[in-house]
Amino acid sequence: MQKSDNKRLRLIISTLVIFVIIPIVLYAGVVYLNDRKYYFISVVIVLLACVPLFIKFERRKPQPREILIIAVMAAISVAGRMIFVVVPGFKPVAAITIITGIYLGAEAGFLTGALSAIVSNIFFGQGPWTPFQMFMWGMIGFLAGVLGKTGVMEKKVALILFGVFAGGLFSFGMDVWGVISFSGIFSWEAYVAALGTALPFTIIYAVSNVIFLLLLAKPIGEKLKRIKIKYNILQ
Amino acid sequence: MALLKIDNLNFYYPEEIDSALKNINLTIEEGEFVVLIGQSGCGKSTLLKHLKRELAPHGKKSGDILYRNERLEDLDMKTAAAEVGYVLQNPENQIVTDKVWHELAFGLENLGLDTLTIRRRVAEMANFFGIQSWFRQKTVGLSGGQKQLLNLAAVMAMQPKLLLLDEPTSQLDPIAAMEFITTLHKLNQELGLTIILIEHRLEEVLPLADKVVLMDHSEIIYTGHPKQLLTDIPKNHAMHDALPTAMRIFNACDQEGDAPLTIREGRKWLLQQPVEQNCVSVDENYVELGLVVLEAKDIAFRYEKNSDDILHGFQMHVRAGEMLSIIGGNGTGKSTALKILSGLEKPYRGNVFVNGQKLKKYRNSDLYREQLAVLPQDPKTLFVEKQVRKELESMQKVAMKASAEKLAEIISLLDLQHLMDRHPYDLSGGEQQKLALAKLLLLNPKILLLDEPTKGIDAHAKKALAHILHALLKQGVAIVMVTHDIEFSAEYSSRCALFFDGNLVSEGDPRTFYSGNSFYTTAAHRLSRGIFKNAITCEDVITLCKKATTNVSV
Amino acid sequence: MKSFEMYHPLVLFYYFMTVIGMAMFFMHPIYLVLTFMEAVLLNFLLLRHGFWKKLMMYIPLFFIMAIINPLISHNGELVILYVNDNAVTMEAICYGMAMALMILAVIIWFNSYNGVMTSDKFLYLFGKLSPVLALTISITMRLVPRFKHQIHIITQAQKTIGMDYTSGSVWERIKCVTRILSILITWALENAIETADSMKARGYGLPERSTFSLFVFEKRDGWLLGVITLLAGISVAGSFLGYTTFYFYPTFSEMEWSLTSVGFYSVYAVLLAIPIVIEIKENIKWRYLRSTI
Repeated sequence: MQKSDNKRLRLIISTLVIFVIIPIVLYAGVVYLNDRKYYFISVVIVLLACVPLFIKFERRKPQPREILIIAVMAAISVAGRMIFVVVPGFKPVAAITIITGIYLGAEAGFLTGALSAIVSNIFFGQGPWTPFQMFMWGMIGFLAGVLGKTGVMEKKVALILFGVFAGGLFSFGMDVWGVISFSGIFSWEAYVAALGTALPFTIIYAVSNVIFLLLLAKPIGEKLKRIKIKYNILQ
Repeated sequence: MALLKIDNLNFYYPEEIDSALKNINLTIEEGEFVVLIGQSGCGKSTLLKHLKRELAPHGKKSGDILYRNERLEDLDMKTAAAEVGYVLQNPENQIVTDKVWHELAFGLENLGLDTLTIRRRVAEMANFFGIQSWFRQKTVGLSGGQKQLLNLAAVMAMQPKLLLLDEPTSQLDPIAAMEFITTLHKLNQELGLTIILIEHRLEEVLPLADKVVLMDHSEIIYTGHPKQLLTDIPKNHAMHDALPTAMRIFNACDQEGDAPLTIREGRKWLLQQPVEQNCVSVDENYVELGLVVLEAKDIAFRYEKNSDDILHGFQMHVRAGEMLSIIGGNGTGKSTALKILSGLEKPYRGNVFVNGQKLKKYRNSDLYREQLAVLPQDPKTLFVEKQVRKELESMQKVAMKASAEKLAEIISLLDLQHLMDRHPYDLSGGEQQKLALAKLLLLNPKILLLDEPTKGIDAHAKKALAHILHALLKQGVAIVMVTHDIEFSAEYSSRCALFFDGNLVSEGDPRTFYSGNSFYTTAAHRLSRGIFKNAITCEDVITLCKKATTNVSV
Repeated sequence: MKSFEMYHPLVLFYYFMTVIGMAMFFMHPIYLVLTFMEAVLLNFLLLRHGFWKKLMMYIPLFFIMAIINPLISHNGELVILYVNDNAVTMEAICYGMAMALMILAVIIWFNSYNGVMTSDKFLYLFGKLSPVLALTISITMRLVPRFKHQIHIITQAQKTIGMDYTSGSVWERIKCVTRILSILITWALENAIETADSMKARGYGLPERSTFSLFVFEKRDGWLLGVITLLAGISVAGSFLGYTTFYFYPTFSEMEWSLTSVGFYSVYAVLLAIPIVIEIKENIKWRYLRSTI
């Protein structure tokens, strides 16, 4: 039985990676790396945080229709990012991820965000920022899903607040933490400088999130609901 | 042993009172080429989906479907997936992966085959279907015909015994469609593959069929050889409009016995009729024409600075109350011409005049309101709302001048009343097109541009469309239509023009135009060429046939 | 760079991850210069004409980073001048430049990675780890260009009913964009159901799915994998022994030119040169083959 051998091998490898290799790498990083240890550790942690959610999706053996809907939402945010470059940073990615999270749940939100990052980096080029982007967008979708379950997100105020929060979170993760941890220069001045340069972007992220959310949440939400009912998926 | 036996199948969709399938009994033998026909909404797609277990719709079902004497539900999962292949309508939607080779391998991966087997099967398919040269390409860049061929190859790689196809050529141009149908014929003849096909292009497909199954209101009303189809169905059944030309003429002339299917058989039959050759012709009737409302003068256009000209010295005009059809091969630039005429692309030389004024002088808001409207190839690109009613109301708001009476008038002209509460995406192709047209008509255009309006819609919907277009012509609207559909343009347009090499090479009223062409002409003309002088439509041939026979008998 | 790209994706991925991983952590000037030089050389061989244009983009980045560090970091002993009572030191300037060089080198290495590891190679590797996710990515990859095309079609159709996102006030434009996205989503979701049906019809979801690829792991891939591991192992060992360590603060540490340290430098240089060497070797072989025909 070649197939089940393969499966067992995969299981062994993934357990090995999670319980042995990653801790060793982390330890080595903390002990031996000087300036780059913060970047290194955060990349490992960020990847580590994504792994369980990916594994869960993998194990669940999702139906083709679920796979397709996630692929569609991710592809729309990537295509939207490519085409509507009216202002730099003014992108619908986060908004679409958030809406997916609200209407299809935390897992779908996470996957849409994370896949948007991976796929858009396949088109635009991978770099040291890929893991952060994946994590940030994924988490934004995940949180939206968690909040969406409570029904809070039906309110406009909640939508606006979350849009601003997501913009800030993304900017902090990508622009501030990403740059500082990568350059390894830690000081108050560095933080201030990074925050200062990132501020215009943070504002654009937040504003674009809010605008896209207010305009898109209802129509897209209705469409997702219709698909869920008509084709009996992700219920 | 029959390959497939359907035993008293009944089916209801959830929460529907009327049955979607009623008392279906059908036996399909190994190696048969079966064509399933019927008007849209008659249940033929529902029936076909029931034959593919994985796609069987949810609902209340009774009766049995036996595949090789075993109930379809009891088949082993792998057998069910591999032995019954299914090809859908839209070539784009069926492609799953981004690479051609991966698409070919996709089904085989699902079956859990090992790399060596997959390699061999994929190689076999690539050779049989002539895919080698684009084997490593991305699926995005393929043409529609290539995509549909790839879908067929990907299904065939799984080595099915029964192949089901639901209107596989409806989105293809005539040449790609013919190539696809020829491939199906080859699969049937050379491999003995059993095929059940739903198809609108009966002119090409019916001659190949061993068996035709006609469905009407959820029931099968005829099963048998296509030649005997006419004797068994009511004389004025709506399906007649969709039949091959030879059959329609044969039927209208009250003939009995085996019907001719192909042009060749039709000619042979016609020659045996007591008709004096080349004597009779159709009378011309002249129509008073309005002013020129849209004119293109000496247009040149290319997409990139260094590419070749797509339009070169392009001239055309259209008058109020006139319908101009632009026909021509695929990828020659017909659609580009339409974009120039509608102001979506700018020519680098020459001008377009709308009502005598240069098009570029118009503001968008003036041009697209009260002046010019474009019906896109895909009507769905205009749908925003979740209900037909809302769709029309939101458009009414955009078109400030559109009154409630105007809306009511359009709804009744386009026969949309019974659809008002439906979701636009739940409508059939023909209905979607009518809805899109209704939206445009709210803007009260004087010029209407249509891009392939008959693509993917059935004979009935085509007739309805022609009826609407003629009503608009009477109101003085000018219509320009770009199409592959020779039959439609011959029957309904006021003027036809052939697009070739960047401009219009010949034009004239349909009668002169099509009786002047020998290859690029209607089936009715090819059938009656040399027998009747200038017959170009079925109606022409039938009228002349009747006239000639009465002449002779008198 | 045909010959290097033809190696098995696993080998290529392993190579780039190893090199980029090390490039991020070795701040020793010799190592930095090696990383940078060979990054540039490889990238030039890969991109040729496009290369200089790309490099121009990076130059301002280099200077910005080199300038920012001395302004916010005042460590170091060699003071050049005082700005607002804050010392601007030689060490801080050098550290800033070293940092900039490292970041630049990493970005250029990533650039080469992007050129060599095309999406199908990445998906093949990813598919070994997580088949479902890899398939989802592959489907997304297919949908993106399709959606771009559809956005174009919708945009044109909307323009003819007076909705144009390229003109009008910002608010109107944004409204048009959301309208286009909204139309796209309905279209995409309804079509996606048919794609899902096509997957199901071809047996997706059966147990024991296999994965097929056009890639074959050959003997030479094994060899190269071994060589990379050996050279990387030596370099990492050198790092543990402190040969890659270099301090900028409080002041520069001594540069070492002992036999062992030069040995470690050379091993690292050879590791980075692997793609270039393979390319040259293959070129010579071709020329030889052609001349003997």
